Formats: sequence, structure tokens, C-alpha cells
Amino acid sequence: MEAVPDFRRHCPMSRVDGILAFVKRECETCALVHPLLARLRAAGVPIRGVVQDDPGHFADLAPLDDTALEESFRHDIETVPTLVRIEGGIETGRVVGWQRDEWRDLLGDASIGEGMPAWQPGCGSKSREPGVHERLVVRYGDAGLASREIEVGEWDDPMEACFERGWTDGLPVVPPTDERILRMLAGTRRLPHEVVGRVPPNLAACTVEKVAINAVMAGCKPEYMPVVLAALETALDPIFTMHGLLCTTCFSGPVIVVNGPIAKRIGMNWGINALGQGNRANATIGRALQLIVRNVGGGVPGELDRATLGGPGKYTFCFAEDETDPTWEPLSVARGIAPGRSAVTLFQGDGIQGFIDQRSRTPEEITRSFAMSLAAVGHPKLCQFTNAMLVLSAEHYAIYRNAGWDRARITKELHAALLRPGTELVQGAQGVGEGIDPKRAGEAVPKFWEEGLLIVRAGGQAGLFSAILAGWTGGRFRHESQPVTREIVE
Amino acid sequence: MNAVVKLRDPTPEAAAVQRTRKAAPSDLAGKTVGLLDIGKMRGAEYIDRLEALLQARGVLTKRYAKPTNTRTAPVPTLQAVATECDAVIIALSDCGSCTSCSTHDLNDLDLRGIPGVSVLTTEFRDAFAKQCGAIGYAGASVFVPHPMQNRTTAELHAFADASVDEVLERLR
Repeated sequence: MEAVPDFRRHCPMSRVDGILAFVKRECETCALVHPLLARLRAAGVPIRGVVQDDPGHFADLAPLDDTALEESFRHDIETVPTLVRIEGGIETGRVVGWQRDEWRDLLGDASIGEGMPAWQPGCGSKSREPGVHERLVVRYGDAGLASREIEVGEWDDPMEACFERGWTDGLPVVPPTDERILRMLAGTRRLPHEVVGRVPPNLAACTVEKVAINAVMAGCKPEYMPVVLAALETALDPIFTMHGLLCTTCFSGPVIVVNGPIAKRIGMNWGINALGQGNRANATIGRALQLIVRNVGGGVPGELDRATLGGPGKYTFCFAEDETDPTWEPLSVARGIAPGRSAVTLFQGDGIQGFIDQRSRTPEEITRSFAMSLAAVGHPKLCQFTNAMLVLSAEHYAIYRNAGWDRARITKELHAALLRPGTELVQGAQGVGEGIDPKRAGEAVPKFWEEGLLIVRAGGQAGLFSAILAGWTGGRFRHESQPVTREIVE
Repeated sequence: MNAVVKLRDPTPEAAAVQRTRKAAPSDLAGKTVGLLDIGKMRGAEYIDRLEALLQARGVLTKRYAKPTNTRTAPVPTLQAVATECDAVIIALSDCGSCTSCSTHDLNDLDLRGIPGVSVLTTEFRDAFAKQCGAIGYAGASVFVPHPMQNRTTAELHAFADASVDEVLERLR
């Protein structure tokens, strides 16, 4: 059984026995019951108003000034008016809104409220307005957070403090205050202390609370939490090899593709500039994952992140797939997720290589054209050495769609167009040292593993431009390092 | 120093709250150590002697001076140290404001990749620790006797003689 809260301990203002009437001026139902409350008080009923906005307006209720909302918070008021009966310092009864019969029961007077409607719902308590509750929890309650508190000096800038502690990717982060962390945690049903996984390179246990802290810092909204959590869990799937990916001397980082209804619901961008800047969800979800790798895992550039050059995608690289064309099978569905479900796919990718073709008209032409650019991924003479992601724009896809080619056909034809004679590709051929094993000189050599070419639809409606994301060199170990798709559980 | 904002640690808390300082080159011979005079009276006499001792050990030195000990170093000065030196010694703090400002300078240079050590008088041991705590930086320090303002030049030189080994040790 839940313990009965003892308000005397916390609420010196309301320790006296009687009836507390939580009200606010701007509420019509409070206005309806105000004259009744005043008459009852004048008649000797021990009623006191607890006023959230304008105590002077309720002067006839001997009001307690609750503009700081402490009483409302401690009594867990969700609606005004609410009557709370206090006896011996504990609550013995409560009525929410105007309900004539229940008021009569609580006050023990069967005659009150004659001539008034039988029922009128109340208004929201000011202590429950957006963002207010979390602030009150921090001020008057127990935030229940386990992470170490870091005090910032009175004259210090919290944003600078985050830089000084090495918590940022080089851009400013939102200082992770309790209030913001509590709001972020409200974005998931998972408990703060639950361990999501161990984050490389230090294989440090990462709780939901740590995810929330880093999501705050990245600038996420609470509603992004399910995507951030799914992205992290996907990154920690051993077959994704996040450990190697973050420590690599290569350019790559985790590229997040979001599918399904959540993408639209949280306002992600799959249209104009989908791979670029400007959309909060795209920008901050990818950043949150990278901040977790940095702050929880310890993947700090120059320390264990040893990228020779790195790439801008390592700040953040996250976008949604364009699922508005019903002829296109979404990436998540092609990778085994049921249609209509939300999912993340994580790909070990570099920045983009632009693909320009404004002349090809037939699917055969554009396929040969794509193959020429895809063959350059990593190095034109390296094969089955990395995976690749092709981000197919609307106008290029239209060429395929108009010819009746679907995802499976496009993928198959691209692989076929990427078969090249081994003699041209072996080490030393064409006067270039780099290349495939000389033993393969007699083969027709595919550029990618059969499952190693991922196709995603995104981008604005105008522009015969698509994009190729080269994959990480870890992809050459076909069965050791693979892109991973996982359903988003909300 | 009242804390008015509290943040939560985004790390797994395996390390101390304070950021570890940059490691200095393992051997300073042939490297350049910046000597940043914070501008406190008498400090230059200590630094003069320290410089001679460093040079005798094969360390190259370069002198810098702040216009006032009551403010953090001007950005061009910090940039010059960051550009021209492999490590820095900041001296000599014997008051509250100069301790606070020189600790910020030490932290700033560390973030620019220049490891350093601050020389202060014993009276400001706590102030240095508090300032490091407030900015989350595990700074290195060496303490010489307090007070220093009423000392003879010979006494200040003796402070340098007595502290040079520790200064070099703390730089590593």
C-alpha cells in the first residue's frame, strides 16, 4: 500500500486541518465555485483558498499564496478547482473539479450547490503546465537521478563548463540540468537506471539516464528518445562493430536512416537537403549517438578515435527515408521489418560522393552511369572491400519507376553492371599498385557483396542528383561487420 | 564561490570530476618552455633564476608577460604561447585574483594543447584547488613559501633553486 503523504513535513502553510481549495483566477470553474466557497467560509466552514495566480482575487477565502506552486506540487494537484480535506495533517478526502454530490459528501452538507449545475470539469493546474512540473520536481522534490552532480561556479557559464570538461564535439551543447534531463526521460517509458548496453571503446555501462543526459546536450526533444535509444542499441549490436568503427583511422561513422511513421511524427526531413543541415531531429539524433560514444564510451578523437581525416558526418549523420511513393519498398521493409513499423538502420559510412547524371533517360543508361560512380567507392580497383549506400533522388528514381523497375530489380541490375574483369583490377594493373588479389585475374569480380549495396530514397523533388555514401573498410570482413536494422520500440 | 547551476555528468563517472591535464613531452631537452610572468611584483626575479636553471638543463625558454595579474591573459598572448611553446610555466601567484586568473590561463593553454604547471605561494594551495574544481581541470602546481613580496632577490633565487626539480617533475 502506498504511504499516505504527511504534508506537515513539507507544507508548513497547509498543516492546519480543514479544507484546502486549490484555485486560479483564470479558470471558469473556479469562478463558478468561488461565491459558494466564500459563503461556506463565511458560515464557518474551515476553507482556505490555495491560489496559483492571483491571491488578491480570492481575498474572501483567506488565501494561501501559491504562485510558487509548491503547495500544488506537493499535493499533486492536476486540476483546479480541487478540494483537499486535511485532518491530523494528512489528506482524508479530495474532489476534483465541480461535482455537486461529491462536494456535498466531502463537506458533509447535502444542501450546498442548490441551483448550480450538477457537474462542471475543472481546468489544468498551473503546476502541470508544460515544463513546469519538471521544474517543480527539481525545486521541491527528488529528481531521482543517479548521475554525479557537477557544480558550476556562480560566475561561470554552464556552456563553457561543458567545453572545459571535454563533453562536447566542438560545438556548444545544451547544459544538462535536472529539469531538462527529467523532461527528456519523459520521452521514454524505460526506467532511468536501466542499462542499455556497454559503449565502446571503454565498454562503459550506459543507462537510460546517461542517454537522456547526452540527448539533452545534443539538443534533442524528448519525443526523439525512442529513436536515440534504438540507434544506440543498434550501434551496440556486435555485428555493427561500433568499437572498430569509432577507433578506425578511416573516415567513417554511424549513418542513421529512420523509417516508418515515427519519422513523420517527430518531423524528420527526407526531402530537400535531407542529408544536410537545418532539421532538428535529423541533426540532434545523430549527434546524440556520437556524444554517447564520446562521453560514455570515451571515444575521443586523438585518443582512441584515430581517424586520419575523419569527416563532417562524424558530428551527426541521420536522415529519414522518403516513403511517400507507394511504388518504393522502404529500406527497413527490404531488411525484414514489417511494413508500417518504425525502424532505424545503421550503416558504417563516410561523407557523400555526389552523383550527377542529367542526360540518361532509360533505366539501363542510368544503371550503367551509377555503376561508374559506385565503382569508385574506396578505390576503383578495390572490390568487396567496403559496402555502400546509394541515396536515390526523386528524379533519378522516376526513370526506374516509369520503366517498372522496383528496388529488387534496381539492386540486381546495379550488381550486374558492377561486374568487371579481374585483369583490370588486380594489383599493378593499369599502372596502379592498389587492387585486388592477383589470383582473381580470371574472374568477373563484383564490386560489392550481394547484400552490401543499400539503396535509400531521399531528397527534394527537383534535381538529377543522387548521393553515394562509401562504406567503412571493416565491410571487407563480410560476416564480421554489417549494417544493422532494428525496429524502434516506443 | 556559490554554485548556482548544477549539471549532471554525461560520462560513466569512471574518472575524477576534473578533466585530466595534457601530458607534457617526456623529455624537455631541446623543447621550448614558455615562462608566463603573470605580472605580480617580484615574480620576475624568481622567473629569471628559473629560466637560467632550465637553460642549463638544455631546455629552450621563451618569456611572456601579462599586462596585469588581475585578469586572464590576453588572447594574443595565449595564442603566442600555444604557437611557440611545447609546455608552459606560469608564475608566480601569491594572491586570490592572480591565483584564479592564472589557473584559467593554465586551463586555457591546456585546452590549446600546451601542458603546464603553475607556481604559487603556499598560502594559495586551497584557492588553486577550488578554482581547479570549479572549472573541472586537474591542474598541476608547485608551491613556494609565502609571503614572497618582502624577500631579497637572493631568497627568491633560492626558491627557484629549491623548486626547479619539482617544476620539471610536475610538467611531465
